Amino acid sequence: MFLRRAGIEQERMQQNKMADGTEEHILVIEAGRTHSRYLRDLWLYRELFLILAWRDIIVRYKQTVIGITWSILRPLLGMIAFTIVFSKIANLPSDNVPYPLTVYAAMLIWQFFSNTVSIGSESLLNNSNLISKVYFPRLIIPSTSMTVSLTDFLISALVFIPLFFYYRFLPDWRIVFLPFFVFLTILVSLGMTYMISALNVKFRDFRFAIPFALQLGIYVSPVGFISSVVPGKWRLLFSLNPLAGIIDGVRWSLFGTPLYLPSLVMSIVISVLLLAGGYFIFRAMEREFADVI
Amino acid sequence: MSKPVISVEHLSKYYEISHQKRGVDTFVESATAFGKGLIERIRHPFSPNRAHVDLEEFHALDDVSFEIEPGDRVGIIGRNGAGKSTLLKLLSRITEPTKGRIVMRGRVACLLEVGTGFHPELSGRENIYLNGAILGMKRSEVKAKFDEIVEFSGVEKFLDTPVKRYSSGMYVRLAFAVAAHLEPEILLIDEVLAVGDSEFQKKCIAKMNDISRSEGRTILFISHNTSAIQSLCKTGILLKAGKLAAAGKINDVLDLYQKN
Ligand SMILES: Nc1ncnc2c1ncn2[C@@H]1O[C@H](COP(=O)(O)OP(=O)(O)OP(=O)(O)O)[C@@H](O)[C@H]1O
Ligand SMILES: [Mg+2]
Repeated sequence: MFLRRAGIEQERMQQNKMADGTEEHILVIEAGRTHSRYLRDLWLYRELFLILAWRDIIVRYKQTVIGITWSILRPLLGMIAFTIVFSKIANLPSDNVPYPLTVYAAMLIWQFFSNTVSIGSESLLNNSNLISKVYFPRLIIPSTSMTVSLTDFLISALVFIPLFFYYRFLPDWRIVFLPFFVFLTILVSLGMTYMISALNVKFRDFRFAIPFALQLGIYVSPVGFISSVVPGKWRLLFSLNPLAGIIDGVRWSLFGTPLYLPSLVMSIVISVLLLAGGYFIFRAMEREFADVI
Repeated sequence: MSKPVISVEHLSKYYEISHQKRGVDTFVESATAFGKGLIERIRHPFSPNRAHVDLEEFHALDDVSFEIEPGDRVGIIGRNGAGKSTLLKLLSRITEPTKGRIVMRGRVACLLEVGTGFHPELSGRENIYLNGAILGMKRSEVKAKFDEIVEFSGVEKFLDTPVKRYSSGMYVRLAFAVAAHLEPEILLIDEVLAVGDSEFQKKCIAKMNDISRSEGRTILFISHNTSAIQSLCKTGILLKAGKLAAAGKINDVLDLYQKN
């Protein structure tokens, strides 16, 4: 069904190009018609994207000290707690990497994902005044909400510098692959955000399930432990969670720990599918946002 | 040669209104309703579907057609709930029509309220840029008109104060000042002047008159304020319960409206 929709969209796009050729701004609005210029509109509205991102960041860091401290403190406290529970109490292995480092790397990825989803899933509701009063491609709203969590992520990543010094640990050439894994995290986070934010507009009880799901999620992702402690027969099932492969990849690129390829491949495929699925669900529900919000 | 800037053909907008206790859907309710419906279907396969009984279609706008020539200043009038705002929302693409077709020639800007997207924590200066972008202005456009905007608003002194510290009048002035410097070919305005003191209202009407006279812009203006409409608009459209009741010279349309 989604594929057919995309096909129609392409057809309409060509029609519009011809109409545009006449130098005038001609806009045809028709009932039941798929919005053919969506991607072009997204590009036209890029300044709005930037300014909303700027707004979110300014508001978040208006109280600079609290904002920055909080974004550093959260993953750090999480790391300490998980290190105590999983390493000191449960005595789990860590591939000869200092346990706090292993946890911190995963914690950053996890919190980036979880912050994006939890801020993003509320974003449409928080901007309901914009949605009911002006037109713009609504995809901009959940997309902007990622900039805050991305900033937080980058700030808290700086803590790696003192950590590396303290543990006298230096990443090797593999670190050049790190951005790729962050990019995959972005795909997963956006896909989930698009999907959940759209469902949140129509189904108002959805929002109560999200924090709960996110809290469980940290335990089915290899944050407090490394993936190789998962028994072999469960490994593929475990890898259905795209963050599992991504976190393994991050650890591989930072610490040179072994990489389990099937899991990584699955992560890549699922990330792309999630983003595409999220996008199509969002587009399908978007047309009635202004009416129901 | 002049083609209509806006032509509206058989435009309708239906809303589904539910007669439940609460307006919002919940996922759990939808899922259970779906389940119940399914069971109902299985048990009584030939009875009418009950799930849809409490959903009603409401015709906010019903088969409306009209055309607007370039440079027209059109007043849209009608009682509360007649569908005026709905019409503007359709023209500005905020919501989609249920039936019909709209063709527009030119850049459109829509003002359903002033100060959409103003953030209370941000300063007046920051909000000018934010609101400008939300209304569809480029950053460079806002920059070029910044001084004009500030002068029009008359809040120079408070430019770096968060707008949550503004009086409501100052807030509206700043918001309207941004909107008044939009330069679309088609400007859609919903009752935004009801707020603000009468002196400022006059200033705004004058500004809008200016804009449309000197630059030949098309304006659609909703208001319950008869004198504001009379001073700005040449033609009028009267909506009555979602239907087009009259269209023509503004004074004729106003007469008709006031007679009923
Ligand atoms: N999102 C919505 N869902 C359901 N009904 C709606 C929705 N928006 C508007 N309506 C209904 O559509 C009708 C027309 O509303 P509209 O806002 O266009 O009225 P209006 O002419 O602008 O009135 P007013 O003069 O009070 O501003 C109203 O009866 C309203 O209840
Ligand atoms: Mg209205």
